Amino acid sequence: MECRVLSIQSHVVRGYVGNKSASFPLQVMGFEVDSINSVQFSNHTGYSHWKGQVLTADELHVLYEGIKLNNVNHYDYVLTDSHISSSVQLEQCTWALCETLEAPRPAPGDRRGHMVIELQVSHEHRRLRCCALSSVLAGETSLVHELSFIITLRGEESTEMGYTRDTSFLEMVVDIVQELKRANPNLVYVCDPVLGDHGSMYVPQNLHPVYKNKVVPVADIITPNQFEAELLTGKNISTEKDAVEVMDLLHKMGPDTVVITSSDLPPRLGDRFLVSLGSQRILMPDGTRKTQRIRIEVPKVDAVFVGTGDLFAAMLLAWTHHYPTDLKTACEKTFSVMHHVIQRTISYAHEMAGPGRRPSPAQLELRMVQSKADIEDPAIVMEATVL
Amino acid sequence: MDCRILSVQSHVVRGYVGNKSASFPLQVLGFEVDTINSVQFSNHTGYEHWKGQVMTADELQVLYEGIKLNNVNHYDYVLTVCDPVLGDNGALYVPENLLPIYRDKVVPAADIITPNQFEAELLTGRSISTEKDAVEVMNLLHSMGPDTVVITSSDLPSSLGDQYLVALGSQKRLRADGTMVTQQIRMDIPRVDAVFVGTGDLFAAMLLAWTHHHPNDLKTACEKTVSVMHNVIKRTITYAKEVAGPDRKPSPAQLELRMVQSKADIEDPALVLNAVVL
Repeated sequence: MECRVLSIQSHVVRGYVGNKSASFPLQVMGFEVDSINSVQFSNHTGYSHWKGQVLTADELHVLYEGIKLNNVNHYDYVLTDSHISSSVQLEQCTWALCETLEAPRPAPGDRRGHMVIELQVSHEHRRLRCCALSSVLAGETSLVHELSFIITLRGEESTEMGYTRDTSFLEMVVDIVQELKRANPNLVYVCDPVLGDHGSMYVPQNLHPVYKNKVVPVADIITPNQFEAELLTGKNISTEKDAVEVMDLLHKMGPDTVVITSSDLPPRLGDRFLVSLGSQRILMPDGTRKTQRIRIEVPKVDAVFVGTGDLFAAMLLAWTHHYPTDLKTACEKTFSVMHHVIQRTISYAHEMAGPGRRPSPAQLELRMVQSKADIEDPAIVMEATVL
Repeated sequence: MDCRILSVQSHVVRGYVGNKSASFPLQVLGFEVDTINSVQFSNHTGYEHWKGQVMTADELQVLYEGIKLNNVNHYDYVLTVCDPVLGDNGALYVPENLLPIYRDKVVPAADIITPNQFEAELLTGRSISTEKDAVEVMNLLHSMGPDTVVITSSDLPSSLGDQYLVALGSQKRLRADGTMVTQQIRMDIPRVDAVFVGTGDLFAAMLLAWTHHHPNDLKTACEKTVSVMHNVIKRTITYAKEVAGPDRKPSPAQLELRMVQSKADIEDPALVLNAVVL
């Protein structure tokens, strides 16, 4: 199998999110994975502390240029993650911080050397809330209160901080995808359009139109949750019929494969389960379009995991590759892998934490290398119903 | 096995050098690998073009800080490019002023090193013309710090003929009764007619893995390590020649290690050579 994936996701030194979550399983399944790390952080943002650096749109472009100059920019798949927006979150917070302090935002073109921003983060929410206590801008010191962590931005980035910066990385990704598609019209772009969950926005409002009008239209496979599916289509989901209509609307926007990874629809198997749905539009040999829709009920898990969305998108890529016209099987395998990895992780985490104690984010890191056999050949543990 | 490695190496978007070369095989063998990418380049520097960004010492520090603040800075192994890639065949890869740092700071902190002959000579100031010289150089390297030394390639003549090159290894260990014992081995390895990039990084990673599984048996650890290398390289060369076509020299892109395709060999390498205990 000679299948090459370009994966543009975040990198964490420790743990499994973004590229760390996607690469190993895809490689274990025999895919060649070229990975561009959009950020490099010590660990994911669910820990008490996290530190690292982000890639600018220019730097992303430079890396892609290198690949292109060598004439090796030929891919079968592109995979991007939610954390595209994490770099955006940092800037949004910087600007919010500046507003809070009534300090001037660095102007575009303003070279300020090292800029250190200190923020307090509520780590129950993925959205960074800026309750800024102090800041050090361009060497001016002020009162420094107790701080949770420090984000250090490289000096060059401050020149790019401007009103357009929040969309430029995402748009650069879209440009790259479009160029790769011109080189290979069969390229499949798998995108997890992370906008939020259960009514909470993870990303600023001004990114909506970018996702809706630029990203989703070039995507071939998307994995929104219910909230994101509703946001992208402007339509509410209260029944299975609604969900099918929303997925049809999403097909119209571009992607031929849509998986609503989780929803609030009432499960038939009881409240220990949640309902996921999928829809795939296929072109038949006679030129007509056929849509296969499925519903799958997945055991709920009593813990917060990070990196599972990235693993899901990667495994959906792999299993739709092996079952391109059979969404039922592709989803059964994908959700089954997830189940095995998560179960193994939960068992280990509880063991490490001890009885009656809540496992820490470190203990809840996915047991990825330990799940190699499940990744290679997942035992199917749930059945999808064809609607 | 819950064994955690901190690997500080380069990252390439495409291909297998540095962390790209080390991570997958170590993970396949069940190791947890935390990776700090010291650079991010599009590809290795053997291609016609390469582009990317380099990390500063501050940025490296910041990342480590994050790990430390979370109290998860607990590792069983650290893996870095020490593999002292200083040079080969008389040519220096890195500037002369780095040599003292390697010799006086890095090597003394190391437990396992994988120099080639030239690097071993440079670090010790001693020439290697015979197997006896090599053994003396390895003993000198032991006295500088590392208990395990593998000279990955040398110009020493192989008894199997000129299609082979000679590698040597030496491991000093403390026996239960308190005495020091040194096991030294020699390996005759089939030569390969191509230039590979990333093989040194893969070698260091696999030596880590196999000395972990065979901590008192350098002979077996080296046989497994060299066998993995051989299998990966053979698969790579075969593929490269196929893709390049008859009578054409494969390109750097075509010569990228066939890493994911070699998963089974990595997990359980078929032995292709016997190391001789000296």
